[in-house]
Amino acid sequence: MPKNEVIERLDLDRYKYDFRTEDMPVFRTEPGLSEDVVRAISRYKEEPDWMLEFRLKAYGLYMKKPMPEWGADLSQLGDVLDQIYYYVRPQDRMKHSWQDVPDNIKDTFQKLGIPEAEQKVLAGVGAQYESEMVYHSLKKEWESKGVIFDSIEDGLKKHPELFRDHFATVVPPADNKFAALNSAVWSGGSFVYIPKGVHLETPLQAYFRVNQERMGQFERTLIIADEGSRAHYIEGCTAPVYSTESFHSGVIEIVVAKDARFRYTTIQNWSRNMYNLVTQRALVRDGATMEWLDGNLGSKATMKYPSCYLVGEGAHGSILSIAYASNGQHQDTGGKVVHAAPRTTSTIVSKSISRGTGRASYRGLCKVYEGSTASRSNVECDALLINETARTDTYPYIEIGERSANVGHEATVSKIGEEQLFYLMSRGMSEDEAMAMIVRGFIEPIAKELPLEYAVELNRLIELEMEGSVG
Amino acid sequence: MPEWVRVASVGDCPPGTLVGVDTMDERIVLANVDGDIYALLDRCSHQDYPLSDGELEGTRIECLYHGAAFDVCTGRAVQLPAIRPVKAFPVEVRGGEVYVQV
Amino acid sequence: MVEVVADRVAPEQKKSGALDRGVVERLAGDDPEWLATRRMQALRIYEATPMPSTQLEEWRYTDLSRKLCLDKLHSPVAEALPDDPQAWPERLRSTMAEDHDAVGHLVLVDGSVVHTNIGAHLSSRGVVLTSLRRAATEHPTLLEKYLATQAIPPEDGKLQALNAMLWTDGVLLYVPPGVRLEHPVRVTRWYSETGAAFFSRTLIVADSASKLAYVDEALSDDFDQETLTSQAVEVFASDGAHVQYVSAQRIGRGAFCHAAQRILLGRDATLDMLNVSLGASTTRVDLNARLLGSGADSNLLGLYFGDGDQHFDHNTSQDHIAPAARSDLLYKGALDDSSRAVFRGVIRVAEGAQQTDAYQTNRNLILSDNARADALPKLEIHADDVKCSHGATVGQLDEESLFYLMSRGLTRAQAERLVVVGFLGMVLQRLPLGGVVEKVTRVIEEKLRLGAHA
Repeated sequence: MPKNEVIERLDLDRYKYDFRTEDMPVFRTEPGLSEDVVRAISRYKEEPDWMLEFRLKAYGLYMKKPMPEWGADLSQLGDVLDQIYYYVRPQDRMKHSWQDVPDNIKDTFQKLGIPEAEQKVLAGVGAQYESEMVYHSLKKEWESKGVIFDSIEDGLKKHPELFRDHFATVVPPADNKFAALNSAVWSGGSFVYIPKGVHLETPLQAYFRVNQERMGQFERTLIIADEGSRAHYIEGCTAPVYSTESFHSGVIEIVVAKDARFRYTTIQNWSRNMYNLVTQRALVRDGATMEWLDGNLGSKATMKYPSCYLVGEGAHGSILSIAYASNGQHQDTGGKVVHAAPRTTSTIVSKSISRGTGRASYRGLCKVYEGSTASRSNVECDALLINETARTDTYPYIEIGERSANVGHEATVSKIGEEQLFYLMSRGMSEDEAMAMIVRGFIEPIAKELPLEYAVELNRLIELEMEGSVG
Repeated sequence: MPEWVRVASVGDCPPGTLVGVDTMDERIVLANVDGDIYALLDRCSHQDYPLSDGELEGTRIECLYHGAAFDVCTGRAVQLPAIRPVKAFPVEVRGGEVYVQV
Repeated sequence: MVEVVADRVAPEQKKSGALDRGVVERLAGDDPEWLATRRMQALRIYEATPMPSTQLEEWRYTDLSRKLCLDKLHSPVAEALPDDPQAWPERLRSTMAEDHDAVGHLVLVDGSVVHTNIGAHLSSRGVVLTSLRRAATEHPTLLEKYLATQAIPPEDGKLQALNAMLWTDGVLLYVPPGVRLEHPVRVTRWYSETGAAFFSRTLIVADSASKLAYVDEALSDDFDQETLTSQAVEVFASDGAHVQYVSAQRIGRGAFCHAAQRILLGRDATLDMLNVSLGASTTRVDLNARLLGSGADSNLLGLYFGDGDQHFDHNTSQDHIAPAARSDLLYKGALDDSSRAVFRGVIRVAEGAQQTDAYQTNRNLILSDNARADALPKLEIHADDVKCSHGATVGQLDEESLFYLMSRGLTRAQAERLVVVGFLGMVLQRLPLGGVVEKVTRVIEEKLRLGAHA
């Protein structure tokens, strides 16, 4: 069987989340962005004045900042940004029970398997539909221990001081053009607080769904993991396939306090007409650990580099990144680690697969400031190319100002080996089984880190996207 | 050897503004906080961009390029993505002229 | 403490002989017409190209506005020295005295060729080693075809255009088809005039199935005034040719050294190349190897050792245009005091360049608290049947090795020196050029003795 046909049969490209729900939002702004849109969002959310001022300042920065000229091709994005809806309110107010969520929206999440997973394996679930969290719930046992898991809007309303002390301290609006845009029009996302010493045994999950055509989703998440706490947060993202492009730009800020341990997992499977430009950053204090697990499978163009600022002694950052780029997709992903304290350590492992006309680029930074004595960092990138039209790039930046630091970076590029295929087939496997096995083996170091046992939805996704339906 | 260098006239840097000036060796940003003038190296500790393009709010100077911020009195970093301070220089005003010790 | 009050702005320094249109016109006045036209064309490109700023990715870590002030420089005015070693500086003579086993010599003092010598048995077979200025009239066909055209045209960048409009002299080495030089050609450059900007070009054409080795050493005393040396190195390795190119730069502090190097490799051509950067305040090397024929093979080696406030910026690229070619790059450096190194290297595999083998490694040793190393090793791969990898490391002296050496009776300083020489010396093992390797090792040892680790 020709190789391409085998790949088709691997079914890596089938997109099963292409279903739409017919519904009427209760409110939406006019297409396009203006100061009036920014004001309307703030008014609808009944925000304090400082937040409106923050949004307006960010809007000014966004208008001033040039479009990035590196990374994914954003030359058509300007037109998209002129046409999308920046704020779509799907229902009156957020619900805390699935029964209260309108049927059409509930159906969507049922198809995605969310309520089922919540019951079985999750500590809490948030579900965002268009611009708002439509559902947020946390199991009683965690609520009673002081855990906060709420929509970002409720975070601002119910915990104004905690919110304001941390909001936009990790990612300032001026950080980059899309952080500025998100700061101007943010809506939805989670507010999470894990109290001192609390160990959350099962993950929190947030699910992001874009349903409407020409939609812009701008969720904003703020997470504070207090001293000695432990938690795991998972986000998943899907959308139906439209002929026009959609846009998603989130900002995730995480503060990991002394000796805390936080893991943030993303399984991004946006439809392949989505621009996905996300800023994710964690501030990691003394002895704390931050782990990013970043899986990028969907979207048309993704630019996303989860980062760890290791500012406390002995802090540790880890980034596991996997990207799959198929026809017409560009995954420009990677990670950043900044060492700014003694004995900080970090690892970045990146695996990518490019096929068809897909392009996977690793872009990363490892910076060690002077004075970060005895710090270590190790970066490994592996790229697998499935056919001759695929493309892969590696763009690491290594900036070392500390004598006692040890930093290593390695990258390799290879294609699916004919010899490996031949060997496996000589052991009685069909070609597609052999191909699937090689791909599985390639991503296995990361796949095994995914909490498959926790999230049914996640499990399905991985099976479908990574292992394919063989035989 | 430290050296006092005249870099500007007080009138060049009205309250609430930032002004970049060149010395023989370094470019310096002057910040006028309610009549008191402070001087920092005009180079953000994050990615070396000029701070003089940024904004002054109270004693906080914010870099235009990535939003890093510093305390103009001390040079201390107060906002990510900056972590390290920016060098601060002693300033004196003599007869309407601003001198910086470099 | 004495207070000194100075005015804020450095006085404008504009010497006569600054690098303006007048200088270009004067140089063009001595050129044959075709060359004068190219010079003026380079001037137009220069004027239309902005000076690279740190906003440009390729110049992000080297701020030309702070490190290179062209307005302060003048074109060299000193009289050329006579072709008589007795009239040359002692250091130049002693360096040359070490170069045994050479088939030819060429000496440049302050940018002008003062001495050329090539074995009669080679010149009779058509080998040419000569001053580029003379070659402009003596070998116009060769120069018209190769000089600043296919390899380093002025369109390459601001500094490349500057060189193309202001070059005063340089080296032409031509080796005809099938001719194989048994020993290297040695070129030695000496600089003495301070505050000047020197522009030279090297053109090496290795015709098919020929073989040559070329060793280029540049040195000077330290300069008080900022001084620029700019070199454009163009190497053509035709089908089946074997080129060995070594450049060792030990120019004094105060200098800004820029070298643009491009090597074009034909089918089955082989390149062994070594760049040694030890001197100057700022060194910038733009190296590009283009593998244009299948079976081409290039080994790109580099060494740098910094102390004081030296700054090295190596910008390399390996372009795989043809299928089934191989390239392997290894750059190693050690950084002491507050010196700083930037390594930016890219492997580009073009569409259709299947069966490419391409490797790239950068390793840095940081020897002091204030030293800094930045590495940006990149891959851009447009073909799937390739073997490509890169690696970069930054680390410090291995305490175990030091401990071992000290337990054998060496002082810590001696042990450190030995480990650094060993670390850098590993690069030389890959260079099959005996006498040259010994000399480079000696030069590194010399620098280490003079540095903080003496």
